[in-house]
Amino acid sequence: MDLHNVLDFPILSLAIFLPTFGALFIWLFIKDEDAIRWAALATSVATFIVTLPLIFKFDTTTSHMQFEEFHQWIPAFNINYQLGIDGISMPFIILTSLLIIICIVSAWKCIQTRIKEYMISFLILETTLIGVFSSLDAILFYFFWEALLIPMYLMIGIWGGKNRVYATLKFFLYTLAGSVLMLIALLAMYFKAGETFSMLAFMDFPFDFQWQFWIFLAFFIAFAVKVPMWPVHTWLPDAHTEAPTAGSVILAGVLLKMGAYGYLRFSLPMLPDASQYFAPMMIGLSLVAIVYISLVAMMQRDMKRLIAYSSIAHMGFVTLGTFVFTVQGLEGAVVNMISHGFVAAALFLCVGVMYDRLHTREISDYGGVVNVMPVFAAIMLFFSMANVALPGTSAFIGEIMVLLGTFATDVDTLPVSAKWIAIAATISVVLSACYTLWMYKRVVMGDLIKDTVRSMSDVSKREFMMFVPLILLTLWVGFYPMPVLDVLHATVENLVEQSTTSKLDAAAALLLEHVPAVHAGTH
Amino acid sequence: MSEVVFPFPFPEHLDLILPEIIMAVMGMVVLMMSVFISKGRQHIVAWTSIATCIAVIFSVISVSGQDASMTFYGYFELDAFATYAKILILVATVFAMLLSLNYIKDVENVGEYYTMMLFAVLGMMLMVSATNFVIMYLGLELMALCIYVLVAYQRDVLRSTEAALKYFILGALSSCMLLYGISFLYGSTSSFMYVEMGEIIAASGDDARLAVLTGMMFVLAGLAFKVSVAPFHMWTPDAYEGAPTPITAFMSVAPKVAGLIVFMRVLTDVLPGLQEEYTGMLIFFAVLSMAVGNIAAIAQRNIKRMLAYSTIGHIGFILLGMIAGTSAGYAGILVYMTIYLFMTMGVFGIIIMMRRDNIQGELLDDFAGLAKVRPGYALAMGLLMFSMAGIPFLGGFWAKYVVFIAVIEQGHIILATLGVLFSAIGAFYYIRIIKYMYFDEERVSFNFAKGIPIQATVVLSTVIIVAVGLYPEPIMEVCRTAVIGLL
Repeated sequence: MDLHNVLDFPILSLAIFLPTFGALFIWLFIKDEDAIRWAALATSVATFIVTLPLIFKFDTTTSHMQFEEFHQWIPAFNINYQLGIDGISMPFIILTSLLIIICIVSAWKCIQTRIKEYMISFLILETTLIGVFSSLDAILFYFFWEALLIPMYLMIGIWGGKNRVYATLKFFLYTLAGSVLMLIALLAMYFKAGETFSMLAFMDFPFDFQWQFWIFLAFFIAFAVKVPMWPVHTWLPDAHTEAPTAGSVILAGVLLKMGAYGYLRFSLPMLPDASQYFAPMMIGLSLVAIVYISLVAMMQRDMKRLIAYSSIAHMGFVTLGTFVFTVQGLEGAVVNMISHGFVAAALFLCVGVMYDRLHTREISDYGGVVNVMPVFAAIMLFFSMANVALPGTSAFIGEIMVLLGTFATDVDTLPVSAKWIAIAATISVVLSACYTLWMYKRVVMGDLIKDTVRSMSDVSKREFMMFVPLILLTLWVGFYPMPVLDVLHATVENLVEQSTTSKLDAAAALLLEHVPAVHAGTH
Repeated sequence: MSEVVFPFPFPEHLDLILPEIIMAVMGMVVLMMSVFISKGRQHIVAWTSIATCIAVIFSVISVSGQDASMTFYGYFELDAFATYAKILILVATVFAMLLSLNYIKDVENVGEYYTMMLFAVLGMMLMVSATNFVIMYLGLELMALCIYVLVAYQRDVLRSTEAALKYFILGALSSCMLLYGISFLYGSTSSFMYVEMGEIIAASGDDARLAVLTGMMFVLAGLAFKVSVAPFHMWTPDAYEGAPTPITAFMSVAPKVAGLIVFMRVLTDVLPGLQEEYTGMLIFFAVLSMAVGNIAAIAQRNIKRMLAYSTIGHIGFILLGMIAGTSAGYAGILVYMTIYLFMTMGVFGIIIMMRRDNIQGELLDDFAGLAKVRPGYALAMGLLMFSMAGIPFLGGFWAKYVVFIAVIEQGHIILATLGVLFSAIGAFYYIRIIKYMYFDEERVSFNFAKGIPIQATVVLSTVIIVAVGLYPEPIMEVCRTAVIGLL
């Protein structure tokens, strides 16, 4: 088999399993708490360094999978250890390895109990996340996708807030119930597509409409829960609110993207006709998420809950961009995801910084924070503006591209003109300004009335350092997004090609091919 | 000098039954040993029994794989299928005995306990090798009678005797149903040999149909009783709860393997002509078992009762493999049973260790805060629970995978969808145990029972579950070759 791997080195495997080895090492050999922190940090930094060649050696001219690896895993079912990344998955791997470092730094002081288990969970989580984004075998993908529930379940349940048990059980069962249907769909596709689990083969195989219809629904449930889309979003505010800061960061920064990534990797290229057919439904649900959830966000008293709802609204933009089938829309969706990875993560870190000082997340418990924490107030202002998608920040690029893509769409199944959809989506820009800035006003601005707030100290060096990369990246993508778009471009063009080319003719041809064969067999 | 004349020719390939002969002889030897060995040194009896089982494993392996697989005029068969099943049963027994070492030593008549186990295993070995209903029934009753006694082994404990009595009465009822069904099949075919009966049934027209169908229903219902398939599962929670915990571990694996093997042989050899009819019945069994097992378990407070319902749920998933009715399905069942064996033994090992004086920790609350007191055991228990729930990277995921893929291959997509949804519901009560261990504060403190045999069982089971989860190919390969001759 011809593998595209410029490095001749299993770099993806190394990125996947280095955190696991680090976790094993910590589990077996390290007892001292500080040493555990340093070892976890060293592992995550090493993993980040390992993922850097993925950027520098990435070939932006091709939509072909790169850095491929292939080994037989379970020949009995033709399940292979097949890895490879393209322009869509590469940014997420980098995002994961970067955010994991920030998560570990953010937990340095605020996690004091069972620090060993905490770091191990995080490193295992990193393994599963990078695994999800680099798998090219459907069962391998599912393997990582489900294994991720284990560290996440423990993380929310052990280190979470007051209501953590309810939140983590809800998270676990919701996502499990969603994804088991995906397993059924994958197993059905295995037999239909000729006993293979290769995702690339699934993309090439012409499924007829009946199949696409049902498989799309199964995938839809799995991915919609993960994104999350309205109305299956209710686990997210609970999980976010109760998770420890770093848990929220990784949840908002990477986990939510897995659902949208699923649409890009599975639904669109494998089931183009069903995707077109269901596009009005998907766009409708996205608009509900954008408008209705923004209104819900406005009414929240808990800062983390507010940001959680804001995440759902932003993910609505992503799914909107995905199902308009234009290059701009899809690129905008991916840029939006990356940008949301920076911004939502940073906002959760901001809440975490305040929570570490006052141990409350209620908006009404704060007020006038700017007087005691000026540097922090500036940082939070920056990310609040980024959440509003102010020009110059990465979120602006993402949202404007999605809106442009929506205007330009030519999906013929839409019941209304595309421009009305774009206009409806634009409302959210106003709404997000309302809830974000209103929260900022109530928390940071105003006079210093409360004595508790008076005792707060400004950000420490460690805390400042974890914001720096996020600020720089937000600005960089905001002012000069070309490098990111270059990485995306070839892949997204190919994806648009795949998702707008009907498979039905080929499916019919395949059927005709088989009918005479059956007849010949009976004689 | 007159020559001795046998009424039949002397059976050929008698060595195939050597493992059973060793088992029977050693069962009696162990009983005698316990009488002559002084009270303080009864552990010698236990270790002899364990050594016997291990020796029998080797003898099974060494006599199998010959050209001939039949002996006793075709009444006894040691094919690859039976070989694998016997190894599973014996491994389960070795584990159960290791778990018993500390648990049982205070009671009188330790020797009887192990003798009963050995004879129960002998019964199971006969069951899986039987090629006709008479031998099968003999083995079944030998197994069942021994297990009734074992359940009631703590005869001063009310709960234990009550459980045994319930188990005995319902077990006797199910044996009656089985015999009644066999009589119908015998009446229609005038044979007890599986394959011969199957040929006659397949060839018979509509005249015998009613009798055959009635017989089939009673036989399958009787077997369903033995492997605790809903709606014939009523005895399971009580028997599980009342039995000494190592016996609960034993009876949740070994008799289930034996029963399922007989189930599969009856389906493939006796009833191949009635696939359409029995598939409907199996779908009913499977859906009901998955529903009862996974939903009723949520309401349990006692972990042994909870695991009883969990067994019912797992058997429901296993039935999916039979519904598929292909060699992939039957191989899937063997994979499932193998993985299930290790999960069960590991979990029961941890339950057995949780003792303080005479109090056995078996309420779910007793697990509260285990992760702080005993992080190692909590980790093992956590992994085993995730595995039972079917979450990857653990073995339990592949167990479910193999039966689901088999049943989807046959086009039963709705059934598979129901199955995965029930498994998602079932995940709740497994991860709830993890919640107790990791998220809650300690309420009752236990002095953990020490003992290298139990610890070894737990560690070995967990390691195997993780290893199989990461690389399941070898076990799948072995199971696939084991079912080659079946269809």
